[in-house]
Amino acid sequence: MNKVLLEFAQWLADKPWSTGLHESYYLYNWIETSHVLVLMLCLGMLAVIDLRMLGWILKDVPASKIAARLHWPMIGGFTYMFISGILLYSAIPIRTTQSLWFRIKLILLLAAGINAWLFNRHLARSHASWDLAPIPPNRTRVAAALSLLLWAGVVVCGRFIAYDWFDCGGEPNPPWIDLAAGCEVG
Amino acid sequence: MSLLSLFEGLEASPIGVFVKDRGATFACIEAVHLMALALLGGAVLATDLRLMNVLLRDVPSSTVNENAHKVFKIALWVLLITGFFMLSGVATKCYHSFYYWVKMIALATGIVFVFAIKQPLLKRDHSQINPWTLKVIGLASISVWFLVAASGRWIGFSG
Repeated sequence: MNKVLLEFAQWLADKPWSTGLHESYYLYNWIETSHVLVLMLCLGMLAVIDLRMLGWILKDVPASKIAARLHWPMIGGFTYMFISGILLYSAIPIRTTQSLWFRIKLILLLAAGINAWLFNRHLARSHASWDLAPIPPNRTRVAAALSLLLWAGVVVCGRFIAYDWFDCGGEPNPPWIDLAAGCEVG
Repeated sequence: MSLLSLFEGLEASPIGVFVKDRGATFACIEAVHLMALALLGGAVLATDLRLMNVLLRDVPSSTVNENAHKVFKIALWVLLITGFFMLSGVATKCYHSFYYWVKMIALATGIVFVFAIKQPLLKRDHSQINPWTLKVIGLASISVWFLVAASGRWIGFSG
């Protein structure tokens, strides 16, 4: 699996636009800057929804109303971050494919997605019984706290990708780190 | 004492040395700074897009503002504290960075704008305020915080 991923990354790295993107000072930096700026929209809206679900803010506004009104701006932000994330990946594909932090980030993103899907299902089924409650039920609050924790993990790992800790071929890593990062010899 | 020597002194201080010498410390502070930025962004966008009548149109703008401002203040404190620690590790670089000063001027403008203009105005009954005034306040607020975030990110690319 790691070999296939590395071959794909090498194929991508050979593309002129991948090199061009990596070497373009303004284009690469603006994509990265916009990736961070849109975090304010995507995670900002998510934080407002989750803080309402935790019963910390907007207690006198129905929880489902906050979720419904902020859902699409959040999804819009996420879509932009996803596309700009793919562009950032394609600019430095080999190192990123073998980055431990990138792999953990993807796992956390997947977990956050599953949590959001389960949460939305729970919200659709049960909100009528607690929509106006200043403090939502425990299950809702746990899902909101988990959502905030998972996204905090995504931000941390995203930031750590820029550092060379545990890079393949750098300082010797414990074998399990090399395995998790997908380090391939050669 | 010149401003440069103040920055050099900060970088040479035990805090500066601690942040600088341990890469993981700087990276962890940076990550918390980013999370607080996202929180601040949520508070700013929810309030200002409501003032501009774009988002949460069926929720009173005073309710959105009151709640979001609490979040804003927490996020701003975290940003200021983590920002100080980040600065202490790379103070000399920041002193010579054009974008650092753009960010500081935008940040000072943003803080004065929020606490001296926006919040005092929004304490009044919103229905008594000209809707265009609310829209302009919202747009100005989004613009200044966008500038703070964008110039902040660009510090990392300079020098």
